[in-house]
Amino acid sequence: MQPIARFSEAGIDRAAASRDCWPGGTLEAWQGTSAPLPARVWWPEDEEQVAAVLRAASEAGIPVVTAGAGSGVCGGARAIEGCWVLDTKAMARIGPLDPERWTVRVQAGVNGQQLEDWLAECGFTLGHSPSSIACSTVGGWAAARSAGQFSSRYGVFEDMVLGAVAVSPGGGVVRVGEGGEGSDADLAMLLGSEGTLAVITELELRVWPAPQRRWLRGYRMPDLPTAITAMRTLMQGDLHPSVVRLYDPVDTRIGGKTRPKREHSAGSSSFVRRWLRRVDELPAVHRRTLALPLALPGLLNRVFDGIASGCLLVVGWEGDEDVVGALSAEGARLLDALGEDLGAEPGERWFASRHAVSYKLMPIFERGGFADTMEVACRWSDLERTYDAVREAVSPTAVVMAHMSHVYPEGGSIYFSFAGRGDRKVYERTWDAALRAVLDSGATTTHHHGVGSLKARAASEEVGPAVAGWRAAKATMDPAGVLAPGRLFVDVAPHDPPASPPPAPEDGLGTGAVGADLEVRAEGGEPRWPVATLPGLPRWQRESWQQPWIGVEGLVGGRPCRLGRGPRSAAGPDLRPWLAEHGATTASWGIATHGERWMGEARVEHPMRVARDLLRADLRPAALGLRDGALVVGFRGPAAKRLAVLASDRVPGGLTEVPWRMLPVPDGPLEPCPDDDPAACHATASTAFRPVGRTA
Amino acid sequence: MSAWDTCRVCPRLCRDGCPVATGSAREAAVPTWIATTLHGWQAGTVSAEDAAASATLCTDCGACQEHCHLHRPVPELLRDARRQLVPAPAMTPLRGVDGAAQVVAVCADERDLAAVLESRLGQPVARLRTDDALGVAAIEHPSFDARASELRDRLAGRVVAVVDGGVARALVGARVAFRWAWDLVGDPAPDMVGSCATGGPRPLACCGAAGPLRRHHPEDAARVARLFAQRGDVERVADACCGEHLGWAGVSVRDWLDEALEALA
Repeated sequence: MQPIARFSEAGIDRAAASRDCWPGGTLEAWQGTSAPLPARVWWPEDEEQVAAVLRAASEAGIPVVTAGAGSGVCGGARAIEGCWVLDTKAMARIGPLDPERWTVRVQAGVNGQQLEDWLAECGFTLGHSPSSIACSTVGGWAAARSAGQFSSRYGVFEDMVLGAVAVSPGGGVVRVGEGGEGSDADLAMLLGSEGTLAVITELELRVWPAPQRRWLRGYRMPDLPTAITAMRTLMQGDLHPSVVRLYDPVDTRIGGKTRPKREHSAGSSSFVRRWLRRVDELPAVHRRTLALPLALPGLLNRVFDGIASGCLLVVGWEGDEDVVGALSAEGARLLDALGEDLGAEPGERWFASRHAVSYKLMPIFERGGFADTMEVACRWSDLERTYDAVREAVSPTAVVMAHMSHVYPEGGSIYFSFAGRGDRKVYERTWDAALRAVLDSGATTTHHHGVGSLKARAASEEVGPAVAGWRAAKATMDPAGVLAPGRLFVDVAPHDPPASPPPAPEDGLGTGAVGADLEVRAEGGEPRWPVATLPGLPRWQRESWQQPWIGVEGLVGGRPCRLGRGPRSAAGPDLRPWLAEHGATTASWGIATHGERWMGEARVEHPMRVARDLLRADLRPAALGLRDGALVVGFRGPAAKRLAVLASDRVPGGLTEVPWRMLPVPDGPLEPCPDDDPAACHATASTAFRPVGRTA
Repeated sequence: MSAWDTCRVCPRLCRDGCPVATGSAREAAVPTWIATTLHGWQAGTVSAEDAAASATLCTDCGACQEHCHLHRPVPELLRDARRQLVPAPAMTPLRGVDGAAQVVAVCADERDLAAVLESRLGQPVARLRTDDALGVAAIEHPSFDARASELRDRLAGRVVAVVDGGVARALVGARVAFRWAWDLVGDPAPDMVGSCATGGPRPLACCGAAGPLRRHHPEDAARVARLFAQRGDVERVADACCGEHLGWAGVSVRDWLDEALEALA
């Protein structure tokens, strides 16, 4: 009988599918403990084969773990003893690319770097650059809601997803999002579900032309609070940097990040490298090189704190030549007032080695330690508190440092790196303490690494009773419960979240009833994203399938529930839309304070085509749409007038300045391009002008 | 410390460069995972049979070395392991050079490269048909050093022209200088995809239908070749080695020599 798909029960294939890149598993392997072995590895090549495998697993009650390239660091793709591993990598077709729509279709098993190389040959980029890009798949990015190093320019991964094909045991093959039969909410539920609801087989992704110019700079900031203020000012000023990376004082000092390169290579770190090389020549010593220092992490942390001062902020812009020039000039003006300009070298050094973090952890295992990372997110007003709390919690068992590399108008993520003695109990104590500190600080437990099994308990506690939304989907899509059992969400004791503090002014949030119209003005500001009107907008304009709130609160089954601890969370699917419909009473949304702004209008023959071209030129208006038949374009922030000049140059006849007024939220779908060439506009119509932002 | 230790804790970062890992989709084929398996073999926890199956998931294309940021000599380590684990294939004897001309056309198949060169250069050209005597398999053979010496003797003082990437690699291994045939006759470097040897590693470093993979895992070899052809939308390849491998896997392509022979006719 013909097998339903290619599979192997060979020892080498089962062993290779047994573990992902969870450092706890790496520590086990290093110490000679093998991971749980799957019974079989499947390589389906299309949706029909995936469906057949899932049907067979459901009938037999065999757990199925979906795996891509296994770069996950939370144990999401780690095998379960006797399970089937469904390896997506035989679904590896790239293309077609639609150069008009700026979209590409890819199967889920495509390697990230290979996709980026392929797009580069076509003159495009996905703009998604996680440090794992060489060893991860697009399906994994979608399943765990990845974020790349240029997220403030191109958005996080779900911002790039226009549509998806997925297969579930209960629902068969479903096409969601762009051109599919599923709803936007279905797509939101699928992304981040980490193989617990369905197997993602194909994605339609938004792509961008390769940037004309990249501008990178390093700034030495006197302290963390000043640096956080700098990042917040950039993000709330509509300056749209592509890169914002802040290294804490310890990381800055240990990494020698603010020293010029010549000094860097000739200084103390060079001595350390020579010493390590010498030690490497003594195999008996090599394995224990770090055992002694890592046995005294508290002392080491205090020493590092004592020698660290100041921190490095790397910022960058990329895209259209003129727009990069305008935005970087304003950004540099702001940063010059807060820190010391170190020139391009620190930024270019980071760019050249931006994927190297994955290589840096290996020597620590080799020398008798463990290394791990934890990425959390919270609002600006909680950043320092969360940073301090986690460092204090981890310090007794691990050396800890951090950087902040994903920022939004309302907050950002903190990426902790810690290293400790290569002992399983020490490892577990470190993680328990770290996650407890995050939860107690009010931050989200995961910004872009996902949940897996490592964070399942913490994520379940964070999401609280809203997990009912995921359970409802699970009951329909995976009625036999065979998909990734024990991953993502698990049963935990009820743990009600503390009452929300009033919004801090620096977070740029307004709060009100869920049913409130977004046109309600917050005191001293206006809604940051009232409407997404045009294609190609990354997260800061909010996609059509996303609801417009930052946070949602309410009661589920009589228990308090709060989602949206950070500006973005990868603790499973985005359950805010579900909560909004099932017991939410209060929401918070982004507001922009009244500052510099400029608005102009033009009567042009093809207004929507012109508008699209403005967006495609990397001009990111705060307001863009049609009013009484005229194209209206508005910019906010310190670069408003510079951007207005660039925009006006790109509009036939130019823009005429008019008084600033936020555009009304439309009641229904706009006509995409009533006067334009249908061939030019039709393809983008369905996602282009679907309104969002009306909450009632 | 094992030669494989670094690979054992690496998050398999060479995977995107490896044609076998990509085309076969087998996690076991990622070079860093092969290293883990071979470490287990050395430690006595993996059988020699499994270790051999693992070490032969390789075309010996060298892409993993290029992608290794820690500069581990992975291909060399894999080659060493194969020498211990897998019996060497029988070697075809090296033929003599047919003719005494200054220029020698070295060709792995029956097509008449020498005729093309004679026509384009306007001078006699000698022939050396390599069959399986050179190429990727030969490089791994225990007797390759002796063969390399023999080759250097036969080609000493001559201009060596090739169109085949596998042969080119063997010549590099034997430290014999060579010229690409198109370069020798003054043609621009063929703007074609899919060459293992001419610096055009996209879409993948190698179609995969060569080396140990083809001998030990023919189904995977064909799978890799098909993905190679699909990714690159391949119709033309630069060198004959790639063309032969793809043809074996059922992908019909043309190369520079095909076109040069047509022009000659």
